[in-house]
Amino acid sequence: MNDVNEELKVRETTTQSDPGAASIAEDVQVTPRPPVLEVKDLTTYYPINRGLAGRLLGHEAKTVHAVDGVSLRVDAGEFVALVGESGCGKTSTVMTILGATKATSGSVRVKGEEIVGRTPREMLSVYRHLQMIYQDPYGSLDPRFRVSDTVEEPLLVHGVGATKQERRSLVLAALESAGLSPADLYIDRFPHELSGGQRQRVAIATALILEPSLLLADEPVSMLDVSVRASVLNLLDELRRTRDMAIVMVTHDLSTAGHFADRIVVMYLGRIVEEGPAKEVLANPQHPYTKALISVVPKPDPRDRSTPQTLSGETPNPVDIPAGCRFHPRCPIAREECAKSDPRLRLSVKVRIESHRVACHLA
Amino acid sequence: MISVPLFSVRDLHVWFELPDGRELHAVNGVSFDLHAGEVLGLVGESGCGKTTTILATMGLLPSSADVAGEIRINGEEILHGGEASVRPHRWRDIAMVFQGAMNCFSPVRTVGSQIVEPMKLHGIAKGAEARRRAGELLEMVGIPAASADRFPHEFSGGMRQRAAIAMALACEPKILLADEPTTGLDVMVQAQILELLASLADTLGLAVVLVTHDLPVVAEACSRAAVMYAGRIAELGSVDDLYHDSHHPYTRLLFAATPDLLGDDRVVSIPGSPPRLDREIVGCPFRERCDSAVAECATEEPALHLVGSSHVAACHLNDLIENVRQ
Repeated sequence: MNDVNEELKVRETTTQSDPGAASIAEDVQVTPRPPVLEVKDLTTYYPINRGLAGRLLGHEAKTVHAVDGVSLRVDAGEFVALVGESGCGKTSTVMTILGATKATSGSVRVKGEEIVGRTPREMLSVYRHLQMIYQDPYGSLDPRFRVSDTVEEPLLVHGVGATKQERRSLVLAALESAGLSPADLYIDRFPHELSGGQRQRVAIATALILEPSLLLADEPVSMLDVSVRASVLNLLDELRRTRDMAIVMVTHDLSTAGHFADRIVVMYLGRIVEEGPAKEVLANPQHPYTKALISVVPKPDPRDRSTPQTLSGETPNPVDIPAGCRFHPRCPIAREECAKSDPRLRLSVKVRIESHRVACHLA
Repeated sequence: MISVPLFSVRDLHVWFELPDGRELHAVNGVSFDLHAGEVLGLVGESGCGKTTTILATMGLLPSSADVAGEIRINGEEILHGGEASVRPHRWRDIAMVFQGAMNCFSPVRTVGSQIVEPMKLHGIAKGAEARRRAGELLEMVGIPAASADRFPHEFSGGMRQRAAIAMALACEPKILLADEPTTGLDVMVQAQILELLASLADTLGLAVVLVTHDLPVVAEACSRAAVMYAGRIAELGSVDDLYHDSHHPYTRLLFAATPDLLGDDRVVSIPGSPPRLDREIVGCPFRERCDSAVAECATEEPALHLVGSSHVAACHLNDLIENVRQ
């Protein structure tokens, strides 16, 4: 009880001394460079097929709220990790940014260009700046294509490189920069002649050949062996530094996110529940969901044991989203107000870092 | 008093015959012991022989495989008699949760009816008694007994994995082999499944072999672990020894390649890839990727030597250090 009072007092005093804190954090910061990616109030709903019988019987039309009001800003050269359990909407967010899934509402700007509502043909010009690598390097490469055909394809689509020789030298350069060196050794091979790590490097070379400003990556190393994961991640890290390329990586691995990302964005049921500088979010988490996620990450040192706070159950069905704070049914510290009002993403009263924001009534 | 281990594997070898007549030496002299209530980790990269090792102990390898060595359950050797001597023990004494087992339920039958099946097959129970036991097994893994009448698609991924574990326990085995039981599951569900395995080992006195490529999972869930490389055990010891006092460069490099949540150490991958197992390996199989190989490593294969109490490693450096000390 004391704790609670003290917390409320702290909150009161901070509000008095710094009344504009929360609103300042929500204003767009003025920086000389425009962001590479700016997402505002993005929603992606999937309709559920009621079937003919359901329609005739007049069943209510239901939708899956996969992404439900996400705002995100990514600057050039920034490495952002989207983390959360399966079904939290992290992959849907990325697929909507890519334009592979239709946004229901909201705005996505890539280098200032609005892409929501574009047709696939109109999206084509955007893909010169926006590329994606997928989770499964065994499934994402065409088994009948040689490495050279796969990596060359974006050049043909976008009409880059006038002659075959020119394109081949671009392919060689892309392979080298993706760490497949000497490139001569790999360019004429088929995917089945490559290891998982090498295939993922081919996928990276394909994504990089147009020198995009933004790379989306969906669990890029989860299918790879531990011994090669680090090299693929180190490669991505180096590329964003040398080319000023921004990366948005979806991962469920908080340790990887903490090591490689500048910023961690934690999602739950289609919403961002906490975001901030990676090390800060991991060392000083504010949202009870983030705290629980961090507590269950297995640690390599057996002496480093904290009691895991396993949450009961799994992410609820995104069809029936709980009222109030969507995390409250699983929250270990939920109070009455949490079932009633939906917390906004705002600056926490307990942390004073402007970029560290949390959506919790009690943080 | 030295008690007979519940589960003992001695000098296990597996060769696969390739279509062109050559042989691939997939498991090369693996030995370990396991007592009741213990959780042992088998960890290593893909292709290191960890899954082949546990499949061999269940007698589940295809006919193209040649198996040699000793496998003892409560002191009784089960491998030499072939299928006839393995069969009575399979599922009843030693059971397995296969990789991806949670996706292998038949979609058109209730979960309960599928858990009942091994009980009927092995004559453990049938009819109402078997259904009652299926309910109990589900309760044991944390699923309400009434869910036995539901179909797999009504279960979440975590629940299906729990049900797969319940199914493996249907004939009350003493040894449970779990192949990558948390791969493909979320961190939250992974923590729940690891908690479940630990509590089953504890309450049922089950000996568990946990196969995984994930070192932190081993550190979290196991008391001891064997690090495997190229079909061999490179190092075996308590998880504490492996992390704080590793005696094999491969173990050390594997930890260095694993990001730690709040650690600031640079994460470094291990260059190169494991050697081909369809050719003879001269010297230490890890030599080409090792950061501290010496001349000896190219000519002579290191044997497993004791480097601490119940801690063994196969590396020439340990012998060199020992010689210098003496």
